[in-house]
Amino acid sequence: MIEVLSSFCILVGLVFGFWGTSSLLGSRSVLFKLHNLSVSDTLGSISIIVGLLFLRPREWPLLLLAIISLMLWNTMLGYVLASCSSDAVKNQHDVLYFDPDFEIGDES
Amino acid sequence: MTSVMMTVLNIAIIAMTLSILIPMYAAWKDEDIWQTMLSMASISTKSSLIVLMLSVLRDDWMIGVSGVIMISVGNAGFMLLAHILKRMGEA
Repeated sequence: MIEVLSSFCILVGLVFGFWGTSSLLGSRSVLFKLHNLSVSDTLGSISIIVGLLFLRPREWPLLLLAIISLMLWNTMLGYVLASCSSDAVKNQHDVLYFDPDFEIGDES
Repeated sequence: MTSVMMTVLNIAIIAMTLSILIPMYAAWKDEDIWQTMLSMASISTKSSLIVLMLSVLRDDWMIGVSGVIMISVGNAGFMLLAHILKRMGEA
């Protein structure tokens, strides 16, 4: 029974893994991909580690540490990537459209 | 651990390795640095997960500890790199 449960958790994790990364190949925006990726990577990885926990209950401290660090770090990395990439895009827009020599009424 | 579970874990490790190829292709294809960062972040999480699966398969917990360290250090390194890229964009 434990092994069926463990195999099921590992399978769910793999499905999440493939689903998340397949959105990388599309042509959507960075933030859309980032959302898909961080959700699927985090949940998929935690599901796989829970499956591993069923197999080796003796090693629960280390696997629990892996789950906690995954939850913290993946979430933080997703936030940092989102904030940094959107700032970078904003800066590019400012540089492109702000023309210091442009005078109001100067239609040329 | 029964041989059936060893086979299941072996198949899972191979499948995980294949799922790493997708972000590698995406990183190679994309010119935008942020899309590349996304792909690399996914590769780092998945590779640390493969290390953890290997440590369960071999029942060797030194490998397990290195897998957990990879989770933290990999993501932390990408956070620093993201800030550097942002600063470079501003300069």
